[in-house]
Amino acid sequence: MILYLIASIAVASAAFVVRSRRALYAAGLLFYAVQIALLGALCWGGLAGTRHAGGLFVFDAPGTLFYLLLTVVSLYAFHHSEAYLKESRFNHLRTYTGLLLLLTTAIAGAYFADNLALTWVFLEATTLCSAGLIYYRRTAPALEAAWKYLFVCSTGIAMAYLGILLLASATRGESLGYEAVATALTASNPLYLKIAFLLILCGYSCKMELFPLYTVGVDANFAAPAPASALISTGLVNAGFLAILRIYRLYASTEVFGWVRGVLLIAGLLSLAVGALFLRRTNNYKRFLSYSTVENMGIAAIGLGIGGAGVWAAVFHVVCHTFVKSSLFLQMGVVRQVYDGYRINRLGDYMRINRVGAVGLLIGMVALVAFPPSPLFVSELMILSEAAAAERWWVLAAILLLTCIVIYSFCARMIRLCYQPNQDQLHPSGVDKALSWSALSLLAIALVMGLWQPALLQRIITEIATL
Amino acid sequence: MILPLILLYVISLVYLAITERFRNFASIMALQGWLLFAIALMRLHAISPAELTFIAVETLLFKGILVPALLFAVIRKTGISRVKSSGTSQFQSLLLSVAALVTSASVTYLIADSTTDLVFFGVALYALLSGLVLIVMRSRIFSHMVGFLTIENGVFLFSTAIGVEMPLLINAAILLDILMSVLMLGMFFTKIDRKIHADDADSLTRVKD
Repeated sequence: MILYLIASIAVASAAFVVRSRRALYAAGLLFYAVQIALLGALCWGGLAGTRHAGGLFVFDAPGTLFYLLLTVVSLYAFHHSEAYLKESRFNHLRTYTGLLLLLTTAIAGAYFADNLALTWVFLEATTLCSAGLIYYRRTAPALEAAWKYLFVCSTGIAMAYLGILLLASATRGESLGYEAVATALTASNPLYLKIAFLLILCGYSCKMELFPLYTVGVDANFAAPAPASALISTGLVNAGFLAILRIYRLYASTEVFGWVRGVLLIAGLLSLAVGALFLRRTNNYKRFLSYSTVENMGIAAIGLGIGGAGVWAAVFHVVCHTFVKSSLFLQMGVVRQVYDGYRINRLGDYMRINRVGAVGLLIGMVALVAFPPSPLFVSELMILSEAAAAERWWVLAAILLLTCIVIYSFCARMIRLCYQPNQDQLHPSGVDKALSWSALSLLAIALVMGLWQPALLQRIITEIATL
Repeated sequence: MILPLILLYVISLVYLAITERFRNFASIMALQGWLLFAIALMRLHAISPAELTFIAVETLLFKGILVPALLFAVIRKTGISRVKSSGTSQFQSLLLSVAALVTSASVTYLIADSTTDLVFFGVALYALLSGLVLIVMRSRIFSHMVGFLTIENGVFLFSTAIGVEMPLLINAAILLDILMSVLMLGMFFTKIDRKIHADDADSLTRVKD
């Protein structure tokens, strides 16, 4: 793992100093060669399940699965960035590319960290990289979004650190490895555990785009270039989800586990409510997709809160959401090429301008509102069934009501973009249909997973969901 | 000897809630930096000399000197001197601060756990709540930064409570300080004031629905 980190950081750093676009592209390809080499070692080289760097890292099932997703999304984001930002100044582009690669490395570190403090360090590193990506355009709104992101994430992450220190004191200085902490927590003071969990959940919610600190994620996705938003809204969000999932598993053997699930249920429902209501309110397609992320992470948190098969459904939901949401953000990048903006009340007629892109958006809409054959239909149905089995009727009613609002908002706004008359000027750069096809391919993977979940994937998710 | 220092630290937090002048904010941050330096020295004397030197020097240089100097530089550059009159009154702030203190003391009393140094825990919790109160109740960005630094100092204080066993944790907390605080102060110093011309958080409303 140390070798991987050194190689990735070295290649990413090289991107900051290269002198031509060709060299920048070569640095990017070299970086992804490193990622694919690690994936190969994980899948076929016997690395899976092993510990490294004195037990600080572990190549376990959740880390490996999410790392695979990260590599795919990051590669797509890199490829789309090359086309999306081709008219940018070269020094801005190389800074952007370097930060994109460093962000990918930091997220990978957070996935594989087997230590509470190390997870926190890598999540903090993602804040630094993301802030640079958000400030890419160097406009006043971009600066404002970057400032807010930096400030709120730093405050949140400091709160999370206080929670980690609380858990550390419970272990009496033994270790901050997840296994050691899980053993120590069984005999800890319940109030103490509750405070630690609240602090950590609040802190990490800014990464997972969950209530209460979801707003910074929305602002970040709004200001960052669309391909970077695709990575932030999926890979980084997954890092937050995985960090919270690991904490959730730590608490599974404690007496406050029921309370923890209750908190996650409430946080999930509030996120779903905020997402559903702001989907109606916002007038920007990128913020629209970001609120959809908040809503989907809310559903995942509800799955964790309900427990049982809900945990499996939550993990599956996050995995499939990664493909769908990254595809839609990349499609939005093409939309911006056409209209030079994201204003919902002005844009239209996209079906005539770019049929492939419009079809991609409509299929993405079907997938995100969880109509069959969407994979999200499978996960949401499982969560609803589990809520019904647990006789939590108020949860069931709240999810159904809020989901109806989401469906209405999504259909109204996506159909408007595709079929309503356009009221905005078209951008002279025109449409790059190859990018639309490329983004569509991610959606195809998601739809295949809706119809058929490979046995290997099922086994891995079952392993992750087993507490 | 540690207890009087911690008491002084608590008093500085209360004063932070009622003061309105930014120069006082910066001075309190400097005082807290020196107090934390002294507490770290006394508390961590059992760890290896190299680690103790590293932590002490970093605390003194960074929390005691660099951050206050940056805060004073920001005050000089922006020309802002006090919190806006539209913010909360001193009395309301004091009331909230006392409420935060009572909450922290009550939670600490209820925990009554032998694995934790409860004095450190209680004060760290109070610092966290004080920082959040400052961020939520004050309208200027400068106050928000001071709120963030207050939370950071509270986290650092608690990390010294368990730092004897885990010096790595203190180093991580210091790294957080250096990276984030300097970055934010630098960003405020070089970009925010120049590009947005906003020392007022109410002006940061371009990015919204």
